[in-house]
Amino acid sequence: MNAKRSSYLLITMSLAALLVAAMLFAGCTGNGTTAPVGTQAPPASPTVVTIAAAPAPVATTAAPAATTAAPVSSGQKQTIKISGSTTVGPIVQKAADQYMAAHPDADIQITLGGSGPGIQAIGAKTVDIGMSSREVTKDEMIKYPSFVITPVAQDGVAIIVNPANTIPYITLAQAKEIYLGQLTKWSQITGADVPGTNNQIVIVGRDSASGTRTFFDSTVLGTATASKTMLEQNSNGAVAQTVNQTPGAVGYVSIGFVTQDVKALPILISQEPVQPTVANVKDLSYPMSRNLYVITNGQPTGLTGDFIKYILSTDGQKIVADEGYVPLS
Amino acid sequence: MIVKPVFNPRSALITSAGHARYSLLEEKSIKTVFFFTAFFAVIVVTFILFFLLRNGLPIFSQVGILQFLLGPDWAPTAAVPLYGIFPLIVGTLLVTLGAMVFAIPLSIGCAIYISELASPRMKNILKPAIELLAGIPSVVYGFFGLIVLTNFIRVSFNLATGETWFAASVLLGIMALPTIISVSEDAISSVPNEFKEGSLAIGATRWQTISRVLVPAALSGIAAAIILGIGRVVGETMAVLMVAGNAAIIPDPIWNIFSPLRTLTGTLGIEMGEVSVGSDHYSALFGVAVVLLIITLIINISAVTILRYLKEGMIGRPARKPYISSRTREALIRSAGMLGLALLLVFFLAAAPWWLAALVLLAGGTWYFGRAHLSENQVQTIAFGFILGATLVVLAILIIILQDIIIHGLPALSWDFLTKPPLDSGRAGGIFPAIVGTLYLVLGAIAIALPLGVGAAIYLVEYTREGRITRLIRTGVDLLNGTPSIVFGLFGFAFLVLYIGIGVSMLAGQITLALMVLPTVIRTTEESLKNIPQSLREGSLALGATRWQTISRVVLPPTVPGIVTGAILSIGRAAGETAPIMFTAVVFSSRFLPDSVFQPVMALPYHLFILATNVPGSSTNKYGTALVLLLLVVGFYSVAIFVRTHFQNKMRG
Repeated sequence: MNAKRSSYLLITMSLAALLVAAMLFAGCTGNGTTAPVGTQAPPASPTVVTIAAAPAPVATTAAPAATTAAPVSSGQKQTIKISGSTTVGPIVQKAADQYMAAHPDADIQITLGGSGPGIQAIGAKTVDIGMSSREVTKDEMIKYPSFVITPVAQDGVAIIVNPANTIPYITLAQAKEIYLGQLTKWSQITGADVPGTNNQIVIVGRDSASGTRTFFDSTVLGTATASKTMLEQNSNGAVAQTVNQTPGAVGYVSIGFVTQDVKALPILISQEPVQPTVANVKDLSYPMSRNLYVITNGQPTGLTGDFIKYILSTDGQKIVADEGYVPLS
Repeated sequence: MIVKPVFNPRSALITSAGHARYSLLEEKSIKTVFFFTAFFAVIVVTFILFFLLRNGLPIFSQVGILQFLLGPDWAPTAAVPLYGIFPLIVGTLLVTLGAMVFAIPLSIGCAIYISELASPRMKNILKPAIELLAGIPSVVYGFFGLIVLTNFIRVSFNLATGETWFAASVLLGIMALPTIISVSEDAISSVPNEFKEGSLAIGATRWQTISRVLVPAALSGIAAAIILGIGRVVGETMAVLMVAGNAAIIPDPIWNIFSPLRTLTGTLGIEMGEVSVGSDHYSALFGVAVVLLIITLIINISAVTILRYLKEGMIGRPARKPYISSRTREALIRSAGMLGLALLLVFFLAAAPWWLAALVLLAGGTWYFGRAHLSENQVQTIAFGFILGATLVVLAILIIILQDIIIHGLPALSWDFLTKPPLDSGRAGGIFPAIVGTLYLVLGAIAIALPLGVGAAIYLVEYTREGRITRLIRTGVDLLNGTPSIVFGLFGFAFLVLYIGIGVSMLAGQITLALMVLPTVIRTTEESLKNIPQSLREGSLALGATRWQTISRVVLPPTVPGIVTGAILSIGRAAGETAPIMFTAVVFSSRFLPDSVFQPVMALPYHLFILATNVPGSSTNKYGTALVLLLLVVGFYSVAIFVRTHFQNKMRG
């Protein structure tokens, strides 16, 4: 009998311990009392953003369209969901972090996945905002006639190689041949060499959900499809990571993802190499320039509208510039 | 509620007719309830198959089944979409083959070592170490493969990229090791001692005993282990999609192990989030899932058949008159084995670099010709050397993986990391919402799966004997057990999220995870129930207790530890799974914890997956997340093992 009781005791205690641990994690951090993100201290009381009110610590200064429709009201938690392009993702993520620091009742949930799923999701209204790095096609506009498409930034698509590669620049024709599998060795391109390897080209690209891929394919490949040996990655970050880790790799990413870890190639246009810089994208001298969009199904109102306005404001566009993209002029 | 005295012999004699009828009704209704929980598994499997078929039918009718299965191009998003999954099927088969070639020698060697050669102290170290290897979540394996293994392969073999068939096979082989080792070790240990003693008594060396008596006697168990391992490898999604390169091609030439390839599961994992509902691509993915399920079904059925043939051959007294005589059967098995080996050898010689092939041929030649010159003791020493080597390799693998994650992950651990939400796309900040989200998901899953699983097990053990219905139920449970986790994810996404419309939510994730762990709960509960001696039940019934009284007051209480063990094991497994929750429950970043089950959550495995594949520059946090996930899952497993050993010891002493 004693043995049985001690066994029961042991089981009950371990189950209880597990349960208590779970409850502690869950319970001791109620909603809304989680430590605020970022370094900005939240305002003492939830701010109601009125049109000409004194700005909260990180509030938008003089939002361009002064009529703020239905600002975030105090005390009520509001949630919006955003999903879509991995190119627009970092801008929206950073903006969301700063917006939520100023508006403690706002919950902005973000999932990435590519422009394709983003457009579908906003079309099916399973999210509040869809992010896209490609144009909405005519078919999609017919299917979802109430789409409101707002450009939030300009962007360029850079062709990147591993920093060990000595290639100085690339032409669009060479890029096309590489991605169609017609050029297989770096030695076939003048000036290109990856010392210490057999110079085999590893093609890295995006999967079918990607707006960046759609843009790249249509700009560089025309109607052809990329070679089957292309390694398909599911985000800009993954392409950058693969190119960084693989000496013979070539890939394409948004200029917001160009860092020290990869080498962005200038594109040779009429014997002149054009760097994928913010300035060149802005004045469209860089051939692979595009717009980045957020899409809503119907006119954006409430927290959705407020947040989009924040992205379009000076503070929001500063985030765009900080992340390496081109702010709207 | 009528108060019913228990164990009072007179209660059986209390003869109010209404009373008897009432308790009869109650008994019958309890039995029906249990029957339905047991049948639930069959219902679920049938429903999943039906739902997948229904959604996959459009592509079969449009493209044609043969063209779908054998078409050489998988290009659903090309200008002219092509839906041929032959490269995917070949990819799955090749990866499985490679994984088995890697895993089988190592695991059988390790199993022999653990069961026959290891001292009790070594056994106590090795067995938990193997279970630890089993507990590592697949996304952590994939993470390790992506960061360490592919780089290693690229550098060592001077390749352009390490994301290859070879990487996938090695990684999946490592993942299958614990399954094959533990089941084979069980099989070898349970060969009756008389076999071993008899063989040793007539003067055979230990190695001769092992190789010619014990292993053949345990062959059915080893075959079962290998088949379980194959099932594990076929169904694996996350690890393979992180390291195999995911190019939908057939390697050219076919033995080029450094070619990238894509498996059926990888395709589902990559493309499931991208399709628009109702499109051809959507339907094609369901077609892929159907094919995957059918392959799993074939594996399961062949497992059962092989086991039955082997068992019959072993006992020597077949249940019914066999179709072919045992002599023919033995000859068939032997020739099949030799044919398989020959094929493997040809494959290997074609694939391997010339020096390796020469080495192997040399070793084989020396063995064949020099064998006669060696004494049995020398042969034994060589064999034991190989076996020890196999065990050391397995241990080395475990240590390499663990040390990589622990060493890189420890710097990331801090109080802030564990209690703050993520910042900067996960590069900074913490993973608190992910930890809580994982706990919510698994607790919800076990809350759903435990009642159903325990009820099913009670029905199977207590209320029926073997018959057609129980065989059907067991087949259903086995099928559910073998179903790949990505198929659960696809089903959860298509049915719960889209069709029923609860959206991407914690509830959808919990239900999907519950379906996935249900077979484990059923199996562990069944085992615990079967351990209760029949005499206890008979004694209780003899005293006049009803069936339900016997179950609830006599049989169930001692099985609680076993049920708890099974529940905690299932929690551990569910905590590490990514594929079922990827499209049903998770969001990458969310500031608040969810306050209803209809909201999405963050989860550790998904967070790790996204950080590892999509967010460059997050190295510290990646490793930190991997370490936390590892500790969480291993923690659950350790508690389960502790509970189990504690009660095993109690029962023994």
